[in-house]
Amino acid sequence: MTLPATNETLKITHITKRYGSGTTEVTAVRDVSLSVSAGEIVLIMGPSGSGKTTLLSMLGALLKPTEGTIQLNGTVLSALAEDQLPNIRLKQFGFVFQDFNLLSALTALENVAIVAELAGTKSGEAKRKAASILTELGLSERLHFLPEKLSGGEKQRVAIARALVNNPSLILADEPTANLDSKIGHEIMRLLRHIAKEQGRSVVIVSHDQRIKDIADRILWLEDGEFKEMVTT
Amino acid sequence: MISLAFHNLFQNKIRMVISVGGVALALLLILSLDAIFSGVEKRVTAYIDHSGADIWVSQDDVFNMHMASSSLPDSVARKVKTVEGVASVSPIMYLTNNVVAGDERNLAYIIGLPENAKFGIPWKVLGGRDLPEEGEVVMDRSVAEKSGIGLGDDVEILGEEFEVIGLAGETSSLTNSIAFISSKDFEKMRKSYGTFSFLLVKVNKGESPEAVAARIEQKVKDITAQTRIQFAAQERKVIKDMSTDVITIMNLIGFLIGLAVMALTVYTSILSRRREYGMLKALGARNKDLYFTVLAQAIISVVLGFLFGLSITALLTAALPLIASSLILEIRFTSLLKVGGFSLIIAVVSAVIPIRQIADLDPAMVFRGK
Repeated sequence: MTLPATNETLKITHITKRYGSGTTEVTAVRDVSLSVSAGEIVLIMGPSGSGKTTLLSMLGALLKPTEGTIQLNGTVLSALAEDQLPNIRLKQFGFVFQDFNLLSALTALENVAIVAELAGTKSGEAKRKAASILTELGLSERLHFLPEKLSGGEKQRVAIARALVNNPSLILADEPTANLDSKIGHEIMRLLRHIAKEQGRSVVIVSHDQRIKDIADRILWLEDGEFKEMVTT
Repeated sequence: MISLAFHNLFQNKIRMVISVGGVALALLLILSLDAIFSGVEKRVTAYIDHSGADIWVSQDDVFNMHMASSSLPDSVARKVKTVEGVASVSPIMYLTNNVVAGDERNLAYIIGLPENAKFGIPWKVLGGRDLPEEGEVVMDRSVAEKSGIGLGDDVEILGEEFEVIGLAGETSSLTNSIAFISSKDFEKMRKSYGTFSFLLVKVNKGESPEAVAARIEQKVKDITAQTRIQFAAQERKVIKDMSTDVITIMNLIGFLIGLAVMALTVYTSILSRRREYGMLKALGARNKDLYFTVLAQAIISVVLGFLFGLSITALLTAALPLIASSLILEIRFTSLLKVGGFSLIIAVVSAVIPIRQIADLDPAMVFRGK
C-alpha cells in the first residue's frame, strides 16, 4: 500500500525487514510504503509485536531494510554507507523517546547543548541555542536542573528541545506519552503539533496511546508488519 | 564531550573516590618507594659528597665503599703525593661493623681519622667535638638518641669501649650510620699497622680532578683513582643494583593495582551508562566521540590520582625526616616522568574494554527499551 503526500520530507518505498534465515526467518516489516510531508503528523499504532519498533528504527536510519528504499529530503538513506548515517541522524532527525533518555549527569541545558556540539556547533553557541529553545518550551527556570529534579513533563520537554536543537526536518517520537499522565501527555502532544505546524517539521509518532489520536493528521495501523488501514483526521 | 566525561566522573562521588583514591594509593606506592630509594642513594653518598676530597684512591678494582674492603700500604700515599697536580693526601681507615650501646647494635661505617684530619671528617656536628682522639668516638645523633645515649656515655666497637665525644648529623641512612674514631684506635683493633683503606686527595687550584686521577693511575701501580663524583656514582650504582629487583616488583604491583582499580571503576561506570551511550549513538554521536569521553574520564581519574598521590608523597617527604632522621625521601623528576607514564598507560588500558563495549552497542536499543 502506498500512502501519498505532497512536499515529501520522508518517503519509504516497499520496505521489508527480515531477521534470521531459512526456517528461523521472521519478517518484521513487510512491503511497507509511506510518504510524510513537511508539517505533517503521522501516528503509527498497532499491537505489540506488530513491527512498530523495527519500522521506527528503519525510519531513524538505525536499521537498514532488507528490501526497499527510504528517502529523507531526496537522499536515499538505505543506500548510504554506515559511517554516513550518524551525521544524518544528528542533523536531519530529532528523536523523542518513551523514557526521555536524558543524560543523568548533565543539566537540562547541557543535555540539549551537547547534541548541538556533536553536530559541530561551538560550545558557547550551542548553550545559547539550547537556552533559547528551552525557554521557548517554558523551561527558562529549569535550565540548570539535573533530570532527577525535573517532572516527567519537564523531562519530555527537555527531550523535545534536544530533538529540535539541530533544526531537523523530521521528528521521530517513540511512545512520547507513555510515562506521562493524561494531562501532561496531552500538553506534550499539543506541543509537538505546534512545532510541526509552526515550524513545518514532519513528525512520526509511534504509540499505543489512543488519547493522542486527535493531534495526528494521519493514523496508520500496523499489524503483522503491514499497514492495514489509514485514517485521515 | 570532555564536559560529559567530567560530569560522569563527578556525578557518582563514591565511585570517583574509589577510582581516584585507588589510583592515588597505587601511584603513591611507586612514588614513595622511588622517593625512599632516592633518599637512600643521596644519604648513602653523603660521606663521599662531604669528604672535601677531589679524588678517592682505593685498592686496585675497588670502586666504592659499600660492602667493599680496600687496603693500601703507606708507600702508596707517598707516591700519590708526588704526582703532579696533587695538593694534599689524607689517608682514612674504613670497615663496616656494629656500634653497640647496651642492647642496641647499630650497623655503621667505622671511619678511622688521622690526627688533625681535614678531609673525611664529620661535616655537621650537632654536639661536642668533631675530631676523636684515642678512646673516643663521634657518632650519629639519631642513632645515639635511639640507643638512649649521649655525650660522655660509652659505646662498644669491635669489642673496645669508646666515649662519645661528638654527635653528628646527616650521618645515618636506612642501611647504616657513620662512626668516627682515631686512626690509632683503628690500627690497634685491626692490627693493620702501616696500611689504610682510602686516600682522600685534594688537587691544586685550577687542576682538573679527572686529569689528576688519570695521572695517579698512570704513576702508581695497583690502585684505582676516581674523582669524588665518579666514586659517589659507583656507590649509588651498588645501591641501585641491590634495589632494582625490589623497585621493579613494587612498581609492577603498584601498576597492577592501579590498573585493576581503574579498569574496574571505568568498566562499571560505562556499564551503568550503557543506555545513555546507546542513546547518544542513536542521536548521531560518532563512536570516536564516545571513545574520547571514556578515555577522558579515565585520564581525568588518573591525573587526579597522580596529583593526590604526589601530594601525599610530598607531605611524607617533608614529615618523615622529622620523625626519623635516618629516613629521607627525595622526589626526582625521572620518578615523576615514570609514574606519569604509568598513569597514562593505566588510563588507556583501562579504557580499552569499555570502548569495545561501546563499539558493540546497537543504537536501536533505545527503541527496544533496553
